[in-house]
Amino acid sequence: MKTIYRLFFCLVLTLAVALPAQAKPLSYVGGTMVMQENDETGYTLSVDYTFDPHFALGLYAKYEINQREFYMAGPELNTLIKRWNLPDGQGNIFSMTGAGIARQGSNIQPAAWAALLADYETRRWFFSYEPRLVYAGDIESSFWQRAYAGFAPYLANYDDLNTWLLIRADHHPAKNDHFVVTPVLRLFYKTIWLEVGYSSNQHVMVNWTVQF
Amino acid sequence: MRHIILTVVILAGLSASAPAETITTTVNGMVCAFCATGIEKTFRKQPEVNTVHVDLPKKRVTITTKPGKTLSDAKIKEVVTYSGYTMGKIVREK
Repeated sequence: MKTIYRLFFCLVLTLAVALPAQAKPLSYVGGTMVMQENDETGYTLSVDYTFDPHFALGLYAKYEINQREFYMAGPELNTLIKRWNLPDGQGNIFSMTGAGIARQGSNIQPAAWAALLADYETRRWFFSYEPRLVYAGDIESSFWQRAYAGFAPYLANYDDLNTWLLIRADHHPAKNDHFVVTPVLRLFYKTIWLEVGYSSNQHVMVNWTVQF
Repeated sequence: MRHIILTVVILAGLSASAPAETITTTVNGMVCAFCATGIEKTFRKQPEVNTVHVDLPKKRVTITTKPGKTLSDAKIKEVVTYSGYTMGKIVREK
């Protein structure tokens, strides 16, 4: 079964990297986004304010539970590096960089993180790929990558409930489960976004985003 | 004095009865409903705008202005760009 997951991960990764891409750590100028993720790696909260079509400034915090427990928090700058607005699709490349502190028990270290996020979507298809580096002294020093691939079973209009079926693949070389695959149901309506899934290592995933 | 007041009243009346304008623009890259909320919210913030309708299948945004008001092409382009998209063709109807 693990071999199947790995093969699927490779396929997802190939699809994601082969296409021009986009993702959304930025909204519109003047917009604020609150994003919260709960998955097998821990609990993440970020609040970002988009002050320019290419930049959003926010706060990022994570309580990591994957293999070792620690907290990490600090300000984050999200940058739209490149966007392709096509007649029937959109692709983007973003970067997310931040610095702050990490805490594990009484051990407190300076922390920094950097990620790239690339995605491409049409009204039917969605692909994304995100590699991320985290450094927090002797608390944490790791690289991980994540890819999404999926489709909309029906083409919803602006005022409808939008439904997506996706596969998320996570690769954490420094963690217990190097490859984790999660089938995901993504729903969004206007400014509310919800993702639920159940991972191959038997963890429930619930992510939500609100934009205002 | 009476003539001045009358002129002001007539001009104000003409302005108020001036027709609203319906402006439709195609928007490249507008494929996601969640992201398109930005374009709707940004247009709604414009004082000249009365209603905004987003048509995702046709990648179109239709704006109705308040009576006697209009939005320039430059302003529409600015709003679309600030929302993260690229503007296509504009069609205006009175």
